[in-house]
Amino acid sequence: MSTDGTFWRAAWIGLAAFTAFGLILGIAGKHPLQAYLDTGAYVLGSLEGFTELFVRMGPLVMAALAVAIPARIGLFNVGGEGQIYMGALFATGAALHLAQAPSWLLLPATIAAGFIGGAIWALIPALMRVAGVANEAITTLLLNYVAPLAVAYQIFGPWRSPESSSYPQSPRLAEAATLPVLPNTRLHAGLLIALACLAVFAYVFHRTRWGLEMRAIGGNRTASQHLGLPVRAYVLLCMALGGGIAGLAGMAEVSAIQGRLVAEVSPGYGYMGFLVAWLAGPSARAIAGMALLFALISSVGDILQITQRVPFAVVNILMAAILFSVLCAGRRR
Amino acid sequence: MIAALLIASVAAGTALLYAALGEIVGERAGIINLGVEGVMLVGAACACAVGAMSGNPYFGVLAAALAGALISLVFAYAVVDCAANQLAAGLSLLLLGLGVSALIGNPFVGAVMPGLPSLARMDALVALVLPLTALIAWGLWATRWGLQLRAVGENPTAAFAAGCNRRRLQYQAIALSGMLSALAGAHIALGVAYTWAEGMTGGRGFIAIALVMFARWNPWGAVAGALVFGGAEASQLQLQAHGVDVSPFVMNMLPYLLTLAVLPLTGKRGRLAAPAALGRPYRGVE
Amino acid sequence: MLKILICVLALASPVRAQDKPPLTVGVIYIGTANDYGYNRAMKDGVEALRKATGANVLEAENVPESAEAQRVMAAMIAKGAKLIMATSFGHQEFAFNLARSHPQVAFVHAGGWMLRDNFGNFFGATQTAWYVLGVAAGHMSKAGKAGFVAGVPIGYVIGNINAFHLGARSVNPKFQTRVVVTGGWSDKVKEAAAANALIDQGADIVTMHVDSPATVIQIAENRGVYSIGFQSIEARALAPKGWLTGLGFNWGPYMTETAQQVVNGTFKGKMVRLGLREKMLVVAPFGDAVPQNVRDAVDAAAARVADGFTPFTGPIKDNTGAYALRAGEKMENSDMGKFDWYAEGVIGRVK
Repeated sequence: MSTDGTFWRAAWIGLAAFTAFGLILGIAGKHPLQAYLDTGAYVLGSLEGFTELFVRMGPLVMAALAVAIPARIGLFNVGGEGQIYMGALFATGAALHLAQAPSWLLLPATIAAGFIGGAIWALIPALMRVAGVANEAITTLLLNYVAPLAVAYQIFGPWRSPESSSYPQSPRLAEAATLPVLPNTRLHAGLLIALACLAVFAYVFHRTRWGLEMRAIGGNRTASQHLGLPVRAYVLLCMALGGGIAGLAGMAEVSAIQGRLVAEVSPGYGYMGFLVAWLAGPSARAIAGMALLFALISSVGDILQITQRVPFAVVNILMAAILFSVLCAGRRR
Repeated sequence: MIAALLIASVAAGTALLYAALGEIVGERAGIINLGVEGVMLVGAACACAVGAMSGNPYFGVLAAALAGALISLVFAYAVVDCAANQLAAGLSLLLLGLGVSALIGNPFVGAVMPGLPSLARMDALVALVLPLTALIAWGLWATRWGLQLRAVGENPTAAFAAGCNRRRLQYQAIALSGMLSALAGAHIALGVAYTWAEGMTGGRGFIAIALVMFARWNPWGAVAGALVFGGAEASQLQLQAHGVDVSPFVMNMLPYLLTLAVLPLTGKRGRLAAPAALGRPYRGVE
Repeated sequence: MLKILICVLALASPVRAQDKPPLTVGVIYIGTANDYGYNRAMKDGVEALRKATGANVLEAENVPESAEAQRVMAAMIAKGAKLIMATSFGHQEFAFNLARSHPQVAFVHAGGWMLRDNFGNFFGATQTAWYVLGVAAGHMSKAGKAGFVAGVPIGYVIGNINAFHLGARSVNPKFQTRVVVTGGWSDKVKEAAAANALIDQGADIVTMHVDSPATVIQIAENRGVYSIGFQSIEARALAPKGWLTGLGFNWGPYMTETAQQVVNGTFKGKMVRLGLREKMLVVAPFGDAVPQNVRDAVDAAAARVADGFTPFTGPIKDNTGAYALRAGEKMENSDMGKFDWYAEGVIGRVK
């Protein structure tokens, strides 16, 4: 698969989708071209606009990895959203309970807790899959709804901050538990973590024996089993890794962006990550590129909302357009 | 209090049942549709839009059914004609539905909506759902059309060999499924909440998908499941009103946890209850 | 050639500096503006501001109470907004973050307590005003039971419930108020189910503190019980038979004044809590179902509150039997966010 070919194909799909979206907006009485221009001005013309792209890109890359890693062995992890929430939950728990710990311990512990939270949440469906009980697409989806409820339970109850008129949110996390942030922006170390995970994934998948085994399992599970590959172990491992990375995204949102645990940890990064991974395939560069594209689309949504009173949810149409183009470009009958 | 709980469960479960019935039809034809939530939202938005514009809730319901079928055709094209991955296509349908419903519903937020008139807390959609269940059960098991549809879902190659038009049957199943899901959304909009709000279905589409598994792909099983799941949702608020201290969040988790819990029960035997070719894109006889 | 150009530019600049560009104001709403409720009241205030000052207003609806809000407000600032109004309780922290990094932009937030030179906080003194609505409920309820649908159980909301209940008890000492919490400011399906559940339990008056009263009022109207509205007095259009009265916000004068301060350069962040007396809150017109003697009683109660009466003076027992306020104790306006108890006769748990 030539990278040139995929790049042009992606560009073509992007163009088609933006045009279709523009048409729909036009029919609805809005001004798509003006919106696109405004977005360009915002993204290129202001520090905030520019850095926001990368602020959004970090969690998207991590959510995409949460899907991409299990996908390599043929699994569908649609539970990124729930894993993000559980990562946020566990990270908050660690930061609150270990608040007295020295800073060199607190931040790594918070990060580790975030990973563990997400990993556990992905392991439940993985175990059910290995036991032959249920397809992970359904179980991960169901757990997506349980996780935010668990977060809500904590912030309305045991972790409710006594200040702020009992508004349901946790107390502020200690300074020592927050990821470093680039001053005057919201750009935080989470992006570095995301890119590091991406690099490791690319290396392992393309250049190690484990990656080769994953590709074998993904290609033909039965044959791999007959060859003696530990398929079940890979199922558990890949789901746990994917969930853990999503958990890191949740940790980053709590630690660097919100500063505390709130009811809405993620604006749908889990689902967007699924789409990024779906569109990008196994290529790390494509994942990074798609994540940036989705971040850009989100900025379009922000601008549309402010300047043209279009509900933000409408960007979903654009994303759906991109997806359906890809899905239907496959085989025509 | 039991009576109140039962009525509340029926009110909450009706939408779930409509969506589940639609999903059963689709899955019996071998197509799993994760985008039910999106179609429900489109149904809700159209019901509100047309209802508010015309002043007649029944026009709204009809518009919803039509819209649901139409938007599902996009999904149908992807999975039936382009043999696309059904899970991805379903999620794309979900996104499409989220966006389209927001666009359609936006001018009508806060508008006065004509609610579905009800007799003893039962409106037309609630009254219709049980006869509809019977109709679908009859359609699937007592007609030739139903037999062919199920054949396509079990073994499309054999069905093709027997002369079934797989493409037509799957399109029909998906259109019907879309209509029913949209009716679910219409009920939530015009029969329960009397308003439109973005994302108002709150994940019920996914509960419906789980419900189908819980019900073992049987319409009557779906009725029982809808009562149970609707009951879990309704009881939380009823208990609060009664003064019982119960965490609303734990109660809200129940439908999902219930589904997860019953999956192992239906597990080994249950998987045999699923249509054999469910979720597999048909690549033709080759 | 260059010299001519410079001269032309030099001449042109003073002319251009003469006309001050209109103020750009950015407003974020947590819901949609046409919700017959909280956001509608805010929007009405913004419209009054726009009419009075000719300002250029950027608005964004459905901005969640999370970091997304900061993103949206930052985009508005990038588009030239010099006054940002964050209209929902949970937007506070994010607006405050931006106030720190943009000291030249003025911010006002609704319903909180944070303050800074360029960050002010405003709201209506709702708690005492709810007492008036309770008086109306006490007179009109035959069953002596009311249902209260609450969105998020923060201290301010609990205070509203208590004031309502105390007002009702001043008329009927055995009055009961049942509370159902939906968990969010705006979940229509839950609000509908909550209203139905409360009516099932015997409430013949339903009221609420959620963003939009529309759903609860419509359910009440369908089931033939009375309703009392909150957030925007426009909601009475929804319940021609059952509407009793309500409480609404009148943000226009405050918002216009704030905008003018920003234009004049005299803006300074301060805590603003105004009530019935200053007409930041208004008691809604009565519904047809309310007889004259009740109207008089309610008006009298409103006058008392406008004069400074507060129902939160001891002794008051809470619903576990302990004393929440002893004789001689009083809760001040600044304490309104601290409620963590329900008055005796309120059925519900302060979680």
